[in-house]
Amino acid sequence: MSFLDIVIQLGRGLGYTLLVTLCCSVTGVLVGLIIACIRRIGFYWLRPLLDAYAYVFRGIPVLVLLFIVYFGFPSIGLKVTPLLAMVLSLGLISAAYLSEVFRGALNSVDADEILAAEAMGLSRLQVFNCIELPQMLRFSLPGMINEFTTVLKYSPFAYTVGIPEITKQAMTLSAATLHGVEIYFAVGVLYFLIFRILLFAVQLIEKRYRIPGLVLKQRSNI
Amino acid sequence: MPVIEVRDLVKKFGEQIILNGVNLDIYEGDLKVVMGSSGSGKSTLLRCLNRLEEPSGGRIVFRGENIMGADVDVRALRQSIGFVFQQFALYRHLSVLENVTLALRKLKKLSAAEAKHKALAELERLNMASHAGKYPSQLSGGQKQRVAIARALAMDPAVVFFDEPTSALDPLMTREVADMMNRLHDEGVTMLCVTHDLKLAGQISDKVVFLDKGIVRAEASIATLSQNHDDERIRAFFAREADY
Amino acid sequence: MNGWARFHSDLLEQSPLILMGLSKTLQLTAIISLSGLIFGIVIFYASLSRNNALRCVINGYISFFIGMPLIVLLFLLYYGLPQWGIKLSPFQVAVFSFTLNVAAYNAAYLTSAYNGLDHAEMEAARAQGFSPRQIFKLITLPQVMRLSVPALTNQVIGNLKDSSVAFLIQYTEFFARIQELAATNFQFFKAYLLAAIVYLALVSLIVIAARLIEKRLVIPGFTS
Repeated sequence: MSFLDIVIQLGRGLGYTLLVTLCCSVTGVLVGLIIACIRRIGFYWLRPLLDAYAYVFRGIPVLVLLFIVYFGFPSIGLKVTPLLAMVLSLGLISAAYLSEVFRGALNSVDADEILAAEAMGLSRLQVFNCIELPQMLRFSLPGMINEFTTVLKYSPFAYTVGIPEITKQAMTLSAATLHGVEIYFAVGVLYFLIFRILLFAVQLIEKRYRIPGLVLKQRSNI
Repeated sequence: MPVIEVRDLVKKFGEQIILNGVNLDIYEGDLKVVMGSSGSGKSTLLRCLNRLEEPSGGRIVFRGENIMGADVDVRALRQSIGFVFQQFALYRHLSVLENVTLALRKLKKLSAAEAKHKALAELERLNMASHAGKYPSQLSGGQKQRVAIARALAMDPAVVFFDEPTSALDPLMTREVADMMNRLHDEGVTMLCVTHDLKLAGQISDKVVFLDKGIVRAEASIATLSQNHDDERIRAFFAREADY
Repeated sequence: MNGWARFHSDLLEQSPLILMGLSKTLQLTAIISLSGLIFGIVIFYASLSRNNALRCVINGYISFFIGMPLIVLLFLLYYGLPQWGIKLSPFQVAVFSFTLNVAAYNAAYLTSAYNGLDHAEMEAARAQGFSPRQIFKLITLPQVMRLSVPALTNQVIGNLKDSSVAFLIQYTEFFARIQELAATNFQFFKAYLLAAIVYLALVSLIVIAARLIEKRLVIPGFTS
């Protein structure tokens, strides 16, 4: 097997890795946003349920939830595709984390500004759309980057449900070439590069929407 | 007919009585000043008048209409009352221009061009047009206040409320704030200002309302009030504020 | 025999193995939490060095391990190394990989806490004549550790959850035993649900313990 073959095969896996990461991240952001919005706008009776969701989904290992969904659901009559299983496990777990990120960011929006917007005569929804949401999204950026990185790093679990992503390709190549160390090392570097490119892209977006003076001293571990 | 007519306004937070039967009239073109120490209920009074707080009792008539009921269009009411907050509360993620156009676009439904035109005119009036592209964090306290005023005036309100306009600024700025408010007064803007700043009150008004423990204890000139010896509360206030 | 009864009897029968797996899970979690913390502190200390080259290496290390999936490292050591004639046990591979990974995270938490510190205190210590090493031990580390308690305990929770990955390299921890249970009677849903509940309970215990630690470490007026 030539070097080129190895590159091509890893490239094939790359597409699946990106697909899984993208689907789970988008699910995480959308569901996380919906949860944070519901919590913010009212529906007080729903709160215990949302709290329970955040607690449970942050307390279960990704792999365990993935196995429940992919191998467990069929035994109660629900068949899910591998990608959907990833979305329902990794995607919903990251939604639980992101809902907390968004909640924290919403709490950082200045209460005076919200009051001022209400005093102007804006409706609750207008206040949310025009004031709270744009500020909150900027505040949550470090947390979102952390979460996207986490999703990328858990994406190899997709191989356990049969998605031929990078790690799966590496396993095949390692068995075929007996150059496991080199191949896994190259794969490690590949993930690192994806991570850096993703980070770079997000930073470009952040720069585009950056507003002087609107930063939150928030922890980011990158 | 007064712009705002307040009768026996009561506001309670649980057991605590904040406003205990306030009476007040604001006529068109007035620059009405309400004085009182912190905790006298000044800010609560302002917030009751545009229903940011729900009054517990009494009557508020705005341009001939009772605005106390549950069926009142609160948002329409708020659109006709400008509010300049103590800390100015500019929207940090919006530029100076966008701060002023927001309500014009979302509430008055003006086009982007119309809103911009109107906003620039108001900023010009407050001498802030050259800062239109800046963000709040890039402005000084006084500049922020002028943007907040332009933001309020842009909606052509029937009255503008000022909540402690000098408290977030350097004491040396008081004169400037007073001059600006007097100029707006000359231009015919109706204003209601609550403050505990004697200097400001003296410079913008010859007759102030003295609020204490939720009731209006006097309405007179600063000079008269400062020599008032019958009311112990007024005496105490002036003794305290004079040092300051 | 219906599903529940069969699941129940298999569970009983295999409970010694499952409990053994559980103790292996807890053991692995404890070891990597400790080794990851110690190595993390070492990394953090090195990152404060004035030597530019060393700082570069350290930053590269932290960034690389934060950006790379742990599973790749596990596979490299477990499936790759034997092709070079080096055979490590699943336990050794797990401890080694997790330590490198967890240490990178812990070092990052400590660094971000350090960046939020009031550096005047360290200057004061320098002015008093303390050596850099003494300042690190007496001033910097205690403050940074206190500020990082929430992040560090979250990392322990993460370690517990991530330890389930070790079954992919044939380490017979709790989740591996649950797999075996599921394989004997095909009650996948029940078996995995049981696993989820056990993990959730353990996470809750760590959360409670963390709250107690945080309370004990409180110093008035010292927050991030």
